[in-house]
This record gives sequence, C-alpha cells and structure tokens, in this order.
Amino acid sequence: MASKSSLLKVILLGDGGVGKSSLMNRYVTNKFDTHLFHTIGVEFLNKDLEVDGHMVTMQIWDTAGQERFRSLRTPFYRGSDCCLLTFSVDDSQSFLNLANWKKEFIYYADVKEPESFPFVVLGNKLDVTERQVSLEEARQWCRDNGGHPYFETSAKDATNVAAAFEEAVRRVLAAEDRAEHLIPTDTVNLHRKPRSSASCC
Amino acid sequence: MAAPATTKLVFEQEGIFIHSSSARGEDQEVLISGFLRLIQKDGDFCVEYRPLEDAVDPSNMLCAGKDSSSVVEWTQTPQCAGERPHRPVEPQQSYETEWDMINTVSFKRKPYANGEGVSHQVHERSRWAFFFNVSDLKSIRVKTEGWAYLVFCLREDTRLPALHFHQGGSEDFLDCLRRYVVLSECPGDKTCLMVCSHSKALSQSFENLMEDDTTYGVVQKLRKDPYTATFGGFAKVTNYLFDAFRWPELEQEPQATPEAEVSPDTLSEVIPGLEINQQQEPGFEVITRVDLGRRPDVERRDPVSAEDWARRVDSEGRVRDVSHLKRLVFKGGLCHALRKEAWKFLLGYFPWESTREERKNLQKRKTDEYFRMKLQWKSVSEEQEKRNSRLRDNRSLIEKDVNRTDRTNKFYEGPDNPGLILLHDILMTYCMYDFDLGYVQGMNDLLSPILYVMENEVDAFWCFVAYMEQMHQNFEEQMQGMKTQLIQLSTLLRLLDLAFWNYLEAQDSGYLYFCFRWLLIRFKRELTFQDVLRLWEVMWTGLPCQNFHLLVCCAILDSEKQKIMEEHYGFNEILKHINELSMKLDIEEILQKAEAICIQIKSCKDIPHSVSEILGFNEEAELPATEAEAGDSERPDPPAPSHAPPSHIPPSHAPPSHVRQERVTDLISNGNGHLHEAAHDVYKIAYIS
Ligand SMILES: Nc1nc2c(ncn2[C@@H]2O[C@H](COP(=O)(O)OP(=O)(O)OP(=O)(O)O)[C@@H](O)[C@H]2O)c(=O)[nH]1
Ligand SMILES: [Mg+2]
Repeated sequence: MASKSSLLKVILLGDGGVGKSSLMNRYVTNKFDTHLFHTIGVEFLNKDLEVDGHMVTMQIWDTAGQERFRSLRTPFYRGSDCCLLTFSVDDSQSFLNLANWKKEFIYYADVKEPESFPFVVLGNKLDVTERQVSLEEARQWCRDNGGHPYFETSAKDATNVAAAFEEAVRRVLAAEDRAEHLIPTDTVNLHRKPRSSASCC
Repeated sequence: MAAPATTKLVFEQEGIFIHSSSARGEDQEVLISGFLRLIQKDGDFCVEYRPLEDAVDPSNMLCAGKDSSSVVEWTQTPQCAGERPHRPVEPQQSYETEWDMINTVSFKRKPYANGEGVSHQVHERSRWAFFFNVSDLKSIRVKTEGWAYLVFCLREDTRLPALHFHQGGSEDFLDCLRRYVVLSECPGDKTCLMVCSHSKALSQSFENLMEDDTTYGVVQKLRKDPYTATFGGFAKVTNYLFDAFRWPELEQEPQATPEAEVSPDTLSEVIPGLEINQQQEPGFEVITRVDLGRRPDVERRDPVSAEDWARRVDSEGRVRDVSHLKRLVFKGGLCHALRKEAWKFLLGYFPWESTREERKNLQKRKTDEYFRMKLQWKSVSEEQEKRNSRLRDNRSLIEKDVNRTDRTNKFYEGPDNPGLILLHDILMTYCMYDFDLGYVQGMNDLLSPILYVMENEVDAFWCFVAYMEQMHQNFEEQMQGMKTQLIQLSTLLRLLDLAFWNYLEAQDSGYLYFCFRWLLIRFKRELTFQDVLRLWEVMWTGLPCQNFHLLVCCAILDSEKQKIMEEHYGFNEILKHINELSMKLDIEEILQKAEAICIQIKSCKDIPHSVSEILGFNEEAELPATEAEAGDSERPDPPAPSHAPPSHIPPSHAPPSHVRQERVTDLISNGNGHLHEAAHDVYKIAYIS
C-alpha cells in the first residue's frame, strides 16, 4: 500500500479537442501552448506533488479522443488509480459523451467496483464566452452518476487546473484508506470478482 | 502494469485427434476427437486439449507445477457437475473456486484407486484431456503422416499424446503460439521445435489492439463463453495434467515415420517460415541465429538538382531514365525547388511518360473534378447539415484539427492564415471524394507537407489523394494497415536482433505500440518539417525494397536499443523514451542505416520467407540480380512499396475500387502497372495466410 501511494496513475479521457493535452501541459509545465498537435497514440507526463502531507508522483496519461483510435488507447486504462472525465463547456456533444467515456473506462480498465472508483469530472474552456453546457447541468450529471467531484477549468488561463488534479489525488488516497480498513472483506471480494466482471459490459 | 484477472480464448480448433492405439499399444485404434485451445489468463498462456463430450474427473487427474513448485487441482466444472456421480472433494475446494492451489513440489499422481474398473465412456475420454502452461512447454515435435501431428514435450520431459490435425491447422496453431514464445528448430533435428526463449507473456491489455484481428490466419475467438468463464478462479493456476504420462514408449519416437519421410518440403508446409536453411548444416537455428553478416557502409548523396532533373526531360516534357532518376532521389532526395514538380510524379499524380501537353489537360480535368466535389459540401445548407451527422462530425473534427496542424510553420502560423483555410477545404473535399472513410485524425498531418510544397489547392488535393491511396488502410475503421505493419515490424525486428525483441516482449512491449505514431503518419511528428519532406520523397521512390519505412523504424530502434536495455526500461519508460525521440532524430543517419539494413538482409541467403515477403524480395528474385550498391546501374523498377499491399491482408482490403479506377483512367499505359501486381499479390498472400 505504501509503495502504491507514491505513484498514482491518472488518466484523462474525453472527446477530441476538449483540451486534455492542454490541461496536462498546463498542470505539469504551467504553459498553454496554442501550437499543440492533436494527440496520436498515448503520452504521459510525471508530476511530483504533496497533498495533505503525502508525497506523490502523479503519472498523467493523455489519450487520443477520436473513436477510431479506441483500440490504441484502451490498453492503457489498466492500472489507473483515477480517471478524469473531460468535456468542454462550449461543446454540448462532448458533455453528452461523458457517459460513454465512463463506460469505456470501466470496461477496459476492468474496474472492480465502479461505484467506488474515483472519477473527477472536468468542464474545460471556462474562459470561452459561448457556453453550451451550464454549470447546473454538469453538476446534476455528476450527482446522478455517482457523486463525482466537478471542476470547471481553463487550461488557457490556468483556472482550477491544479485544484482538479489535486482533488484527483485526494480521492485516490481516500479510496486507499478505505481499502486498508476493509482488508478482510476485500480479500473475499477479490475472489468473487472475475465472474462478476462479465456483467459490466 | 498489474492487470486484473481476465480469461481470453486466443485460439480454438475442433477436430483434432488422438490415436489411442498408437499411443497405448492397443490393437484396435481408437480415434479420439477433441478441440485444442490456447487460453490467455492473467498474462499466462495455457494450452488445452479436450476430447469432445469430455467431463472432467478429478480423481483421474495428475498435477504438475509451474517450475514444478505449484500444483493445481481441477475440481468440478459447473457444466459437468450434474452429469456424473459426485466424487468427494476436499471441503475447501468445493465452493467458490473451481481451481485451487495446493503446494506440492513435483509431478505426482493422485491415488488411482477409485478410478480403477470404471469404464464409463466419459471417464475414458477424459483421460485424454490435457492442459498446461505454455511456460512449461519445452519442445514440440512436428511430424507429418499425410497430415501433420504435434507432440508436446514439457519441462519435466513429459510427453503428451500426439495431436493429429487431420483437417489441417497445425501451422495456424504454431503461428499463434509463436506470438507468445519463440520456437526454433532443434539443432540436429528439424522435426523438433525448441521453445527456446520465454518472454513474459505479452501485454495482455495491448492485445485489445489486435483482438479483432484475423490476419494471423488463426481463428481467434475472443468471446467469453461459459466454458472459459469457469476458469474464473484460476488466477494462479499453472498446470494440471491428466494421466498423460502413460506413454513412455513415445519417448523413443516410433519408427513409423522415418526421418527420411519428412522431407524438407513437407516440413515447410507445416511451419511456414522455417523452410530455409534446408541445405545448411543441420541444426542451424532459423529464427534465432540467422547470420546476417556485416552491415555494409552506405553513403548518402546530394539532393537531385534542377539541372539533374532537366537533363532527363525530353523536349515534349516526358521524363526519361526514370529508374535512374528514382535511384538518385532515393540516394539524396530532391532540392526544394524541384519538389513542386517532382512530387507529382513520385506520387503518381503525373505519369512519368506523359508529355507536358497531356499533363496540362490532366490538370484541367482534375481542376474541374476538384471544384465539383468542393461545391458539394460548400452548397450544403445549414438546415441540411443539421440532419447530416456524418458531415457535421467531419467538419467539426477538421476545424479542430486544422487549428492544431503545424502551427509553428510559417505557412500555417498565426490566426486566419490562408494555409489553414486551404487545409480545411482540401480535407472537407476529401470527405466528399472518399465519403466512406471521411476524415480521420492524422490525415491533416499527411496533407500539411504536401500543401506546403504544392502551394496550390488542386494539385495538393490530388497529390494527397495519391498519398492516401498508400496510407488508406491505416485510417480504416479497423486500422488494418496499422495492425499489419506492427506485425511485420515485429517480424523484422526479431530477425535483426532477437535479444532486443525478447527484451521488448519481456517488458510487455512486444506489440510495438510505441511505433504507432511513426507508422500512422509516416514519421511526420518525429522529424523536423524539412526532414519529413526528405524522408517522404525518398520513400516514394519505392526503393530499395518494399516497406522501406519499416526498415526506417528498425534503424531508429537499432540506435535506441542499447539505451533501452542497459537502463532496463520497462513498459512505461520505453513508451516515454520513444515518444521523446521526436524532433531529435537525424534523418540522413537514419536513412543511411535503414538502407544498410536492407542490403544486409538482402545479401543474406537465409532470410526467413516471411521477411522476404515483407520486403518484397521474392518478386525481385526473378529479376536479374542487382548489386545492392550499384548506384548508377540501370535496373527495372521494383514494385513501389507504397502500393504493394502489406501481407496478410484479405482481398477485401485491397485498395477501394474507385481508387483503382481513378488510376486506370488517369494514368496512361504502364504507369499503374504495379497496381495490378499489387492486387495480384493481395490474393497470393491472402491465400498463403
Ligand atoms: N479557449 C480555450 N481553448 C482551449 C482550452 N484548452 C484547450 N484549448 C484549445 O482547444 C483545442 C484542443 O485542445 P487539446 O488540448 O489539443 O485537446 P485534446 O482533448 O487533447 O484533443 P485530442 O488530442 O484530439 O484528443 C486546442 O486548440 C487548444 O488550444 C481552454 O481552456 N480554453
Ligand atoms: Mg490531446
């Protein structure tokens, strides 16, 4: 457990163009690069940080959003400690697709207990004036889909970006704490898991 | 990455027989028909044979262990629990898991007492079932007897009964197995395949990329059927064997199939790719120790100048001496001023033998055609677009991507750059040209350098169309082209440096996923813009072999492998390291090395068949032998690699027919000759696989 908490794998998912790569770059290098290419394949960056007295290395995985590249990105879902579901507030389609992203993640990451897995939802491009998704709509979705924390971010002007990533770390640490207290029952659950996993598709 | 438990069926074939008398010396030969499976479970690969109608009888089972330290016991499977008298099992085994671990050290047989005198049909058959972890496999004997049969030999020198492939399929099985272990001919015995190297199981998860792939020539069924689901609890299972050890007589392989009868030819049918070295000293290891010889020194030359080019154009504008010219382009590329003209020929937009006049007419027609297609999307009203989700999706993706294409390049930099509008319009028009494909991310990367060079919307469009003909499969729904190329690359790497390839496999990186971006957009993101132009024109010559870009991959990896292995990079680090090579590569050095590798492989007599197939050496073998370094000598054009299909592609994946029609109508005479060859090859290769 102790070793696990030192390296956290966090994965950014969401439609093409919502700003996943920009968010990662903003957080890790504190830059917003308007010359960025769309992502092909997968990339990751590491960032060391301290959250509530815990030193962690966050390994942030950035994926390509286009449907066609699914078979390339899904193999990298495994072993994720947290999933950042990303949409852009000026693109309602990307918001509607959140459910699909969540489903895809749970399926391919082979998440044991989807109900308690830490997701964080990011509504990016807060700086854009023509919003298509309201704050209330987004919050509602997060409430209805398992009570995920919601952050409105802007990779462009850095609003809330660090807060969102730090929340991801907190959620992972909290989930681990819970798991540590529950070890005896957890072991039993693990044994049952392989069979019930068929039900999540 | 720790992968949670899943079970996957990788290979399955029914109708595989055990001949019971030959195994047990009974008078009456009984054929037991069953199915053979290769199952993946938690990164372990297991082979299972089960007679039909088999029910498992725990009392009849023998246990064997992973490096002989763990033993696993088969208890009841749900589907057979009701079919036969219940046998008492240890209480702790009777619930929850079908599999349980017990710690025993070596092979042992369970007390057999309660099995005696039982002549139940099901019981009888169950004795023939076996199951083992591939990591316990030591060798496979491959023999033929009108059909092929395989005998598995496990680590403890345990031989399993021969499996007879009456309906064929043994080579498919071996091919499939080769994806997880390295099989090589046993020194001194061609019928014996040693499982010589054990890489850790391939990345289970990356298999997703390949999972819908049927190009291995293997029927891969990945459904989770009730049967494989019963393996749910066997996370740590390695082996169990039924009483498969009853055939010591098999140790001395019967003389029934004298060695002489297994001619090299039949062997090669059984194991494609292993037929080479027949004349070599026996025991030469095919895959592991092909001696490639020294890698030659290769020199690059200066780019072709405008004068060089002009000298080869006749008074009416026909380009003469094409093969020599291509050779020069291959060796040095083109000076920038020439590109605008020369690329149209290299890409096949202009036929080499056309006159200036003919090209003018061609361009006129192509301009009309382009604007007709452009008008099609331009004239779609907002109302129409609301009801056309395909168009809407294409448009929104193109808009997003155009804003993210080479924005540091002068030609595309700054807001409202006209270059961006052209990119957008050409990509939109391409969606009209190839509506089935539409826009896929990465096409923008392929178009950008072409538009930059052409500085003309129509010419750029048609050159892009020609380039897309070569790249089409990369972008198709199933990304067939990508899968094929990754497999081919892996074949080449294995030949060039088995140790490195094994290392990658051991790091779960054997699928070479980290080369994905390289291949999808032909190194567009890995090199500086000017170097991309150089690399592409070199590749478009079709020299010096088919699929030269794969050798470019090999050349880059060759330069990195030392670091990767010395620093013990794992899965993540390899990916990161390769991603970070971007913009740090030296194109001339890479081309030099890639060409040297080509010559090195070509001059080796013992290249595995699969490798010559990939590089197109087979077709060339019929041509007069060429001295690899005879730079200026005349030689017939080998088929352009770009149009040669990657092997293993079923006919249905041949370039779309409209593409071919396009070429036939536009290119006069033999300019498109290689396309026919290519289409022909598709068939040939599909048949082989
Ligand atoms: N105004 C604004 N634009 C942003 C913001 N974040 C990203 N962008 C822009 O949105 C576009 C897409 O951003 P990316 O970071 O490339 O998007 P992505 O999610 O990584 O996309 P894929 O790699 O295709 O999956 C780029 O042009 C960015 O400059 C933001 O917070 N505000
Ligand atoms: Mg991205």
